[in-house]
Amino acid sequence: MFRNNYDNDSVTYSPTGRLFQVEYALEAIKQGSAAVGLVSKTHVVLVALKRNAEELGSYQKKIIKVDDHMGIALAGLAPDARVLSNYLRKQAMSSKMIFNRPLLTSKAVLSIADKAQENTQSYGSRPYGVGLLISGYDETGAHLYEFQPSGSVLEYFGAAIGARSQAARTYLERNLDTITESETVEQLIVHGLNALRDTLSQDVELTFKNTSVSVVGKDTDFTIYDDENVQQWLDKLDSVSNARNREEDDEDNANDDENNTAPAETEQLEDRMETDE
Amino acid sequence: MKAVENGGTSIGIKCKDGVVLAVEKIINSKLLVPGRNKRIQTIDRHIGVVYSGLLPDGRHFVNRGRDEAQSFKSIYKTPVSVPHLMDRLGIYVQNYTCYNSVRPFGVVSIVGGVDDNGPHLYMIEPSGTCWGYSGAATGKGRQTAKSELEKLNYEELTVREAVKVAAKIIHQAHEDNKDKDYELEISWVSKEETGGLHQFVPEELLEEARKLAEDDEGEEDEEMES
Amino acid sequence: MNHDPFLWGRPSNDTYGAYNHAIAQASVQEATHDQLDQFPKKHTQQPIITGTSVIALKYKDGIIMAADTMGSYGSLMRFNNIERLFRVGKETVVGISGDISDMQQLHRILNELETDEEVYDNDGGHNLRAPHVHEYLTRILYNRRSKMDPLWNAVLVGGFNDDGSPFLKYVDLLGVAYGSSTLATGFGNHLAIPLLRQLIPNDTDYVNVTEEQAKKVVMDCMRVLFYRDARSFDKFSMVTIKDGGKGFDFEKNIKIDNQSWRFARDIKGYGSKQE
Repeated sequence: MFRNNYDNDSVTYSPTGRLFQVEYALEAIKQGSAAVGLVSKTHVVLVALKRNAEELGSYQKKIIKVDDHMGIALAGLAPDARVLSNYLRKQAMSSKMIFNRPLLTSKAVLSIADKAQENTQSYGSRPYGVGLLISGYDETGAHLYEFQPSGSVLEYFGAAIGARSQAARTYLERNLDTITESETVEQLIVHGLNALRDTLSQDVELTFKNTSVSVVGKDTDFTIYDDENVQQWLDKLDSVSNARNREEDDEDNANDDENNTAPAETEQLEDRMETDE
Repeated sequence: MKAVENGGTSIGIKCKDGVVLAVEKIINSKLLVPGRNKRIQTIDRHIGVVYSGLLPDGRHFVNRGRDEAQSFKSIYKTPVSVPHLMDRLGIYVQNYTCYNSVRPFGVVSIVGGVDDNGPHLYMIEPSGTCWGYSGAATGKGRQTAKSELEKLNYEELTVREAVKVAAKIIHQAHEDNKDKDYELEISWVSKEETGGLHQFVPEELLEEARKLAEDDEGEEDEEMES
Repeated sequence: MNHDPFLWGRPSNDTYGAYNHAIAQASVQEATHDQLDQFPKKHTQQPIITGTSVIALKYKDGIIMAADTMGSYGSLMRFNNIERLFRVGKETVVGISGDISDMQQLHRILNELETDEEVYDNDGGHNLRAPHVHEYLTRILYNRRSKMDPLWNAVLVGGFNDDGSPFLKYVDLLGVAYGSSTLATGFGNHLAIPLLRQLIPNDTDYVNVTEEQAKKVVMDCMRVLFYRDARSFDKFSMVTIKDGGKGFDFEKNIKIDNQSWRFARDIKGYGSKQE
């Protein structure tokens, strides 16, 4: 099932200078369930939607702790994420061993970026099929990075990856100012869950079973809230399903303003069509 | 292969007392943190680099440059000269065109530095081709930038002046890509200004240069003639 | 026993027969170049050119460190212009005593560390500070000693903690590390520490010490060291770091003042004028 002649391996450029293998890897992220990250001045929050393969199966872990000050959320191939998070853990340990200080978030992120780049330039290896959101708090403050299999890493105020993540990004862009100015962790988490809720498809709700939340920041070690512990945060939401939100969106489009809604919404639809199959 | 070169415009200017590097950093999302995600990197204390194309490949290139510089230093106990470093990097990049098990680098890099023989500026392509330049440009707006660079008098130009010129050129080159916002990043290396170290220009100077570039927009024609 | 002046002390061939060089493959002379790796490897077993004491103390605004500039070849004063204090990053000084070639190696290692941590992809705010440099050196020195191939040095690291308080710690060729408000290496441990501790009796007392007092006691220490330590010199360098690293003062070519060698007249039993 080839799309064209230039996508057999990651060492072949297409005539337009693209690397299809790498682009397919980006596609793998979109197949994964969504993860959202956002930053205030002092804290970083990650929220993620877990999936279970079958009714009786457990939910796939979405958030992994790296160190007391750092953790990641993933979308895409979970085994690849484990490889990368193990690598990050090693880096964090050696920073403690060699310098007796916690690993700088930006250094950590760049190290996996360079590792991922190698896999895009040599025959016989495939790019990592996972996108990561890396949250960290260090002496330079609270940081959120998005990692892509291409080896690209960028720092964001808010980011979302995975299925229908465009909807979450739209939410983050609309509320950017209130998010970055958030005073409390609670506000930040509620914004995160709101954004995550926007990525839900029709018949799904946020429940304490399928939602993961993590926080790291000033005087706060990296903490993951799962299962029963996440209910306290879900209780803070006005609704846990996306249905109401959609109706509202329609109204928005009808009488609300112009600027970012229109183009973003179409993109969002495209996104859905691709991943809902 | 050349199609890779569609990233933000990068330029380098070699002056009588040093080198200035500048890049137009396209902002794809307003969620990106301003002032972070730096594009200009340092190979050794006295050598800087900026590139356009596949940015992760650029990082690979820079890491190799750092390894070369450090291994040179560990053998000869003296900082590597820019021409020698470029020679080594040229070989490395060229090697990636020789085998079907790897792909060539997807970046064009502009490397500038100051050593005992004064300032140097080089541009290196995916093929491994590596030339010295007085003014170099790559990326989407390279045509505009090149024609502006040709008007400069490199014998007289100082780095302090060149910072402003660079800001202006990047601004003009951005005209080709106007639908997206950009952030300006400028670095310099000069014996007089930075003691031979490669550094980002101070915030005030960057701001001044950016203001000038934007104000000049109106008086473009006048500027062209002078 | 062989009484030939050049082979004195060796077993005599007449009595014991010629030495069998094949034992433990100990003869390098008979080997060709590519066989050399089969022979036992010899590591550093003693320093060659050496630098003597480094002394340092904390005071209320920061730290002061001093070391003379001599490199001795045994008892020969081989070099008199060797700088043994090094600046690392923005606000840290490292003072090294012991083998000079190993000191130069450490200097290169520290330089590379500085390039890695301070220059590459540094967006600011994440600086290499004294505790990190000290931890790193401890790892290096301990690793080398565990390979039975030590870097023959004793090192002082001075600077500031993350919270801005003064930092001063020691680490040596064995990987032994400790911290104190008053520190010295080598002979300084015997000769300078008592003087330093007179000024700073308890570890926390440095907060009452002014820069003037601190500099005076450094000068006194260097003078006593010059009087009593035969491998010392009367020219030294001194680094003063204060206010969390904002002030970094590197003074070179300081001459020890107020020398009085009167006491030497009363010393008997050394040198040419023995009675």
